[in-house]
Formats: sequence, structure tokens, C-alpha cells
Amino acid sequence: MLKGTQSKKRLVLFIAFGWALLILSNQVGDLKLYQGSFVATYALAITSIILLTGYSGQLSLGHSALMAVGAYAGALSIFNAGLNPIVSLIIAVLAAGTFGLILGVIAARLSGPYLAGTTLALAVSLPTLANQFSILGAEEGIVFDVGPAPARFGEDFSQYKWFFWISSLAALIMVWFIANLLSSRYGRTFKALRDNSIAAELSGINVGRVKVMAFALSSGVAGLSGALLVMLISGVSPSAFPLSLSFALLTGAVVTGLYNLKGVILGGLVLVAIPEIADSLVSRIGGSEGFTTTLPGFLVSALLILAVVFTPNGPGHLIKRKHHKQKVL
Amino acid sequence: MIRNKSMRRASLVSAIVATGAMVLSTLPAQAATPGVTATEIKLGISSPLTGSAGLSYGKVPGAMKAYFNYINANGGVYGRKITLISRDDKYLPTAAATQTTNLILKDNVFALVGALGTATHSKAYKAAALAKNNVPDLFINTGFSGFTDQTKYPTTFMVLPTYAMEAKVIAKAIKDNFAGQASFLIAQDDEFGTDGVAGFKTAGHTFTLAPILYPQGSMTSARAEAALTGLSAVPGKPVVVLFGTTDVTATILKAAEKLALTTKFTWYAGSVGADANTLLALGVKPTTVNGVISASFMPDAKDLTDPYVKQFADINTKYNKGITFDNYVLAAMNSAMLTVQALRAAGKDLTRAGIMSAIEAKGSTFASAGLVPLGYSATSRIGYNGYWVSQLNEKGEGKPYGGKLVIYTTDSGAGAVEVSTFVRPTMPKNGIPTNS
Repeated sequence: MLKGTQSKKRLVLFIAFGWALLILSNQVGDLKLYQGSFVATYALAITSIILLTGYSGQLSLGHSALMAVGAYAGALSIFNAGLNPIVSLIIAVLAAGTFGLILGVIAARLSGPYLAGTTLALAVSLPTLANQFSILGAEEGIVFDVGPAPARFGEDFSQYKWFFWISSLAALIMVWFIANLLSSRYGRTFKALRDNSIAAELSGINVGRVKVMAFALSSGVAGLSGALLVMLISGVSPSAFPLSLSFALLTGAVVTGLYNLKGVILGGLVLVAIPEIADSLVSRIGGSEGFTTTLPGFLVSALLILAVVFTPNGPGHLIKRKHHKQKVL
Repeated sequence: MIRNKSMRRASLVSAIVATGAMVLSTLPAQAATPGVTATEIKLGISSPLTGSAGLSYGKVPGAMKAYFNYINANGGVYGRKITLISRDDKYLPTAAATQTTNLILKDNVFALVGALGTATHSKAYKAAALAKNNVPDLFINTGFSGFTDQTKYPTTFMVLPTYAMEAKVIAKAIKDNFAGQASFLIAQDDEFGTDGVAGFKTAGHTFTLAPILYPQGSMTSARAEAALTGLSAVPGKPVVVLFGTTDVTATILKAAEKLALTTKFTWYAGSVGADANTLLALGVKPTTVNGVISASFMPDAKDLTDPYVKQFADINTKYNKGITFDNYVLAAMNSAMLTVQALRAAGKDLTRAGIMSAIEAKGSTFASAGLVPLGYSATSRIGYNGYWVSQLNEKGEGKPYGGKLVIYTTDSGAGAVEVSTFVRPTMPKNGIPTNS
């Protein structure tokens, strides 16, 4: 009964949030909408890392490669097969999920630094493999064009608003699904595996199977965010998924808090806002081009240190703790 | 009478209203040209300032700014100062898309200049809706022939010749000078290399072995050594054409040094991969650099007897302090000079459509440091349409191969490679264009 109420509450919350975004999209300009689309996309990618690392305890340094798999699958289904963009996003999830499943089976016996090393190697090598197959369009890549918004939305409905709607809706649905999953038996199984795999095994949990499942699910979510990312830049190519993207997402996940999904939007915001903050700081206080280009990296590092020191479990956890304290008092 | 009076009044009022509406409807259109005010023209560039590409190309925005500052100090363009807003795209498509969008939506620039890279700019062009917003995309730094497609890139003007053109000129040079020798191609496996491969094929040149293609960033010393060891078994003095970036040329030449094979081959480096300063800085021995053949459309940055080079070097000393004057700086200042001429040719009432029409109509006559002709017209968005063959010496200077400057022109298709008698326009006085 309690579980049902929680689930309903979550659904209402997500629908309300969706409505708020819909209203917001009519109030802000194209630039903010474009930035908002990136926030939604990165929030989704961070969700996939939290699912894998925070919940099931498997460290991945190669999420950009999993995103690339989804991105290429989605792009091919639009560019070559001429499928509907919605179908292409679903294909992106399935293709990346299947890839994650296979990778999960191979890597099931690995953990800790060995798994991190394997995923790191994947992030380095997989995108460049795309250069080997002409169907993947080499370095120029292939177009990922979701087309203009339906005519019924009117002529003033911009490309950026269309991007915002698609990425926000996709992110909301997927995060809602993952949040429900993590509050179910599967979520508890993942946590048990993360906290003590031997104890989990003794409790009758099939550790290998759960690990593979977490990997496949996380990959599917990463694949969707990869497809959304290349939608925003109108095409997919190997250089769209550099190793630095994996590290940036991991940073976003740490700032968010690895053990809950409450702050994923904050993680996405951080990744999008840092260069903007750096820009406005430089324009106010002045400085050389070198200063401008190194400031974002410095700000991210500072934020990471502050997050680890003051909110190691993320701001969402901090709010929860305060709420709990108030209840006790 | 009354009726007539009231009708007349109504006519007068409607005439005033109509005139007012016409004036009001035209006024905002003029005032609304993005990035243009009575005193300023805002331009934007998205290019790598950091990362490995930033090492070489990071100088481009600074050099363009230096030239624009020089023009601003001399009165600007019809009294307007040029402001160049530079954003770092790290040579990554995602960053290029967001930074270019920022330039359009946030910085509100009039036009883009000197965007760099095929994978980056092709994404940025669409993401920032440059075609839809009719944003001039001027003098882009990529030779990918796909950008000549006016249906896909209706506002883009290239400055570099296409890679296919370069391959055709190299094929002719091999045929004219090294007939009978084996020839090999080591090329980057992307649009850059494949455009080149297509150019060799069009020119009818067949390499002795299938081209060795490598993905960008994957040419290691070990891989280079393995490739050269294999090629060294071929008798004679084969020609090895390197169609990649300068860092890869350096890796391959250093591998040849290690294997003592530098004199076994005649080295022919494409224009993108033959920056002598970079080769020497990356540790290639001057004796190895000596004799490397290349193709270029610009004069050599070390040739201070060239009036354009001398003028740009002087501007660099005064307005770009602390930056070494090299081929990148020269090319960037040259693009800036083309931009100023395009702005002037568009007239005082500057509009986005106006500047594109002006380049189509007058661009082929613009003064520039390039030693080959500019090919702008109503049907062509290609900048330079040819090359001259140069040979590097130990100091890294590029001199005409065989001692005589021969200019070749061609197209990206099946057209022949022809010797041109082109003489470039005289440099405007003090490097300040006065065209209209």
C-alpha cells in the first residue's frame, strides 16, 4: 500500500515537473532552451552512471563509449533506415542496452580498478573504430536529424524548443522508470551487491546476473543520452565522444551524489553552466584568453573538492538529512 | 462636398498610415541586422584554443584579432570597428555546436569567420541553424569538398582549396618529376584522406600498393615504423605521399630517422601536414626536413621579401605581441584581410545577404597573399583553386620546387590540372583595403 502511494506520488511529481518545463519552454529564449536540452541530456547520462556506480558498485570510466553506441544506432536508424525519430531513440536504448549486456557478461568477473581499466580502454578505442566502417561515415560522421517540429505547433516553434521538448520528455520518462526500478526489489538487490557482494551471494542473490543486468540497464540509459546528445549537434562522429566526456559525466555524478537520483538535474546544470559562469567571470574581471580557457577546468575541480568535503553523498542526501532532523526534533 | 471632404481626409489619413507603416516596417529591418551598429561590426569564430589542435590552430583567432585591431586603428570599415568574439571548441563537435550557437544566439554576431575542422563545423553549421538564419559563414578553414555543396551549406564560403584539388596537383607533380618510381600513400582515414584518395583516382594516379589509411590520432611510432619497413623493400627511391596532419608527418619522419630510411624515399607532405616550424619543433631533424616536397597556395611565412608577408609580420609584431609569425598566423591574417574586403564590398548598409552577394560578385578580385587565384562566383564558394609545389630546406623555408614558381589550377572534379599565368593583385597600401 505504502509502495503504491510512493509510486503514485512520484508519478504526480514527474507529471507536475513536466508541466512546469512545458510552461517554462514558452517563457525563455532559444539559447536557454538549447542549454536546457543539454542539461536534460547530461542529467540522463549521469543517471546511468549513478545506476551503475552508485547503486550496483561497478565503476565505469567509459560511459562515453556506451553513449556512442546508442548515438550511432539511433543515427543509422534515421539516416539509413529512415525511421521515425521516436523509434530511433528506442533503438538507441535497445542497441546500447544489448551492447552493455554483452559487455556486462564479459566484464562480470571484473571489479574495481580492473573494470575501470576495461571501460577506459573501451572509451578510447570504440569511437575511433567508427572510422573503419564506411557506413558510419568516418570522421565526418552521419547526420542525426529529427526534422522540424510538427506544423501544428506553428511557424514560431523553433528548432531549439523542439530539441528541448524531446530531450526533456525522454529524460523525464527514463529517470521516472529508473527511479521506480531503484525503489523496487531490484534497487535493493543492487544496493546489497554494492555494499557486500559476498553477503549478497549468501542471501541468495545471483551476483553475476545482477551485475550484468545493472550494466545492461545503465548502458541503455547512456545510449539514450548519447542519441539525444547527437540530436542536439545534428550528427554523430567519433570525436563527439571523447574520453573527457566520460570524466565530465563522472564529475557531474559525484557533484550530484552517487547514491541517489535527486540531484541529477544539478549535475547536468553544473556541466552546462560552468563554461557560462567562467565566461561571465572573465568578462567582468577581465583576463587573457588562456585564463578564459583554463577557468572552467579550475571551477569544476574546485566544485568537485567542495562536493566531496561538504556533501559527499550529494545535495539530495543533505536535504533528506535536514528533513529527517526536523522530523526528529 | 462633405462626403468628398471626408473621403479626402480618409485618403490622406490612410496614405499617412501606409507611409508610416512602410517606414516603420523598413526601419526595424535595417536596425535589426544582428551584430551591426553605427560604430561596430561583431564577428565570431569557433575554433580550438586548447587541446592538441589548439597547439597549432590556437593562434588563428589572435592573429585575426590583431589584423582587425590594425584596421580599427586606421579607421575601421566605413567608420565601424570590427570586434571578433572567439570561443574555444576544443576541436570537439559538441563544443563546436554549442559555441557556434552561443555566438549566434548570445553574442549576436553578424557573421562567422575562419571556423575550423570538418567534423566540428559540419555539426555546428546545422546546430546553430546558420542556413535558416542566413548567417554568413566566411572563409572556413577546411578543404573538405562537401562544403562546396550550396544546397547543404548555402551561406558557407571556403578559403582553402579542396583536398581533392591538392591530390590532383600532387599526382601531376609525381608524374612530371618521378615517373618510373614506385609511389605510396599514407593518409588519414576520414573525409580529409578519402577526399584526397578520390582526387588521386580522378587524376588517374595509381599507387604501387593500396593506400595505408589510419584513423585520426592512431598513428604511433610503432605503426609508422612497421609501415615504412614494409615499403622499404621496394627497390629504387619511391615517393611516399603523407596526407595527414603535421604531427603525423613528424611521427613518420622520425620513424624514418630511427630506421635510417630518410634518404630511401622522396617525401611528399600535403599542405595540411607540412608546417616546417611545427615539424622542427616536434623534433624532426633539419636534415630530414630538408628536401621534403609539399604543395601550398600561400607564400612561405619566412619569405619576408614578399610584401604581404612583410606587412602581416609587421602587424603581428605590433598587435600580436609575443606570438611567433608562422604559416598559421599568415593564413589567419590573410583571411582577416579577405573579411575586411568583403565587408567593404557589401557597402555601408551592411546586411547578411549583402555581404554574401558581394563576395560572389567581387570576391575573385580581392587582394590576398595567396599565389593562386580565388574562385568565388555566383556558382562557386571555393576560395583558392590551385597550388604551387614547394620544397623545404633545412631552415624550414619553402622554396619553389625546381627553382621556378609554377602555379597549377584545377577543380575538385574531372577538370585537368593546368599551369596558370595568374598574377595576384598588388597589396593594398599598408595592407589596408580600400575597395568598394
